[in-house]
Amino acid sequence: MSSAKTSPDSAKPLHATEPLIDIDDVSVRIGQETVLDRVTFCVHPSEFIGLVGPNGAGKTTLLRVVLGLAQPQKGSVKRAATTFGYIPQRGGLQAANVPISVLEVVRLGANGNVAKARQALQDVRMQDTAHRQFNELSGGQQQRVIIAKALASDARMLIMDEPTTGIDDRSQTEFYALLRALQQAGMTILMVSHEVDTVLSLVTRVICLNNSILYDGPPKHFEADTYLPQAYKAQHVQLHHRHKDIAHA
Amino acid sequence: MPEILQYSFMVRALLAGLIVALVVPLLGSFLVARRYSLIADSLAHISLAGVGIGVLLGFAPVAMAVPVTVAGALTLEWLRQNRRISGDIGLAILMSSGLAVAIVLVGLAEGRHIDFASYLFGSITTTSPADVITLAIAAGVVLAIVAMNYRALVHIAFDEDSARIAGRHVSLLNYTLVAVTALVVVLSLHIIGGLLISALIVMPVMTAARFAHSFAQTVLLAIGFAVVAVLSGLILAFYAGIAAGGAIVLSALVLLIAALIYKK
Repeated sequence: MSSAKTSPDSAKPLHATEPLIDIDDVSVRIGQETVLDRVTFCVHPSEFIGLVGPNGAGKTTLLRVVLGLAQPQKGSVKRAATTFGYIPQRGGLQAANVPISVLEVVRLGANGNVAKARQALQDVRMQDTAHRQFNELSGGQQQRVIIAKALASDARMLIMDEPTTGIDDRSQTEFYALLRALQQAGMTILMVSHEVDTVLSLVTRVICLNNSILYDGPPKHFEADTYLPQAYKAQHVQLHHRHKDIAHA
Repeated sequence: MPEILQYSFMVRALLAGLIVALVVPLLGSFLVARRYSLIADSLAHISLAGVGIGVLLGFAPVAMAVPVTVAGALTLEWLRQNRRISGDIGLAILMSSGLAVAIVLVGLAEGRHIDFASYLFGSITTTSPADVITLAIAAGVVLAIVAMNYRALVHIAFDEDSARIAGRHVSLLNYTLVAVTALVVVLSLHIIGGLLISALIVMPVMTAARFAHSFAQTVLLAIGFAVVAVLSGLILAFYAGIAAGGAIVLSALVLLIAALIYKK
């Protein structure tokens, strides 16, 4: 059984609408390692969920399962029949050696529709960059463009994997303000982040993962001192053993 | 009429060269974007194995090379998609294996007349009217496939995960891209040569990338640079009496160096 702790007022949330994501008792093993152990949670419309946990906790694997890019060995994943926007870490576009314009990137989401792509760029206040090369933009600007691409695809939910890694403080602040505005407009967001303080100030729900769910509830009941040291401690112990192994090798 | 156009074999070479210059950088733009630049080299080596099988069994070498190379390309993509082997290792293994099979088979076929060097380095004099027609049909097929799937191919080239999430037929289009690349590589053997074809996949695209601001511009400029390289290479080869494949690749190289100097 998963030993997830839920806060008093989130144990059985009542939602009038069907969940966008329903993850039920999902386990994933990679080789001999259990990356996800009996993970269960739902994502409902308009929620802003921060997914936190140490490196190797299975956060990215969980996102890949949610997106259908990885299949669990156990459990079930149900996705609502809607569009999901994926925002990977900075540099999500894999080709730096061939130019692609900002408008072309957003049109990939809009299925070629130029008017829709321009509107999405306007929504993230990047309309002036439409004809610039994507790779010439700063990290923060690139992430806004990737969000525009998701908006152009009529995504109802954004799934983000540490979207502000390598982005300067000012761009991060602007990026988070954009996310807040999107969430207030009804967008559902699931975001992996290492910046716990920012996550707590931004989200409506926190999930703390370390292979299994340690906490799932509102940020006001999330005691970072209780849960994160547990998660990070486990990682530090692992690292300590690895260093010892290397030293003895 | 210029002297070069008074020879029917040169007219055929120019026509075939122009078709190659249209199609190869078009595919090259997608292959370079997804860091698959070396695939043409590997496929060319596999095609040489196909040529060897054709010679040994007494079939037309190029006709035999097409299914063998397409099969090699599909195998390569299957290995990559199933993560059995990483892309660059798969390319290296198929490249050397293809050449090894070719050398052994051509050795076994000793006594049968075959100008193996013409498949390695190209030979414009051996371009027949049938070659030009086959190349034109293949180019039509490639253009139709790319035109029908352009946006999905761009999506996959720049962000495969996101394309998969968006419901694009990623796996099918990846197999299709490598299969048509294999077809074009084999049919270009006479013009450019197996050992030189990857230059025409990469160089015009990299030259275009110095000037372009978008992917669409890159594709169009790359085709333009390839046309210039093929025409100047063939003209140079005709008047200077040098190997056409080498002259074409050197022309493409000059364009790339000029672009690198002009647009630092």
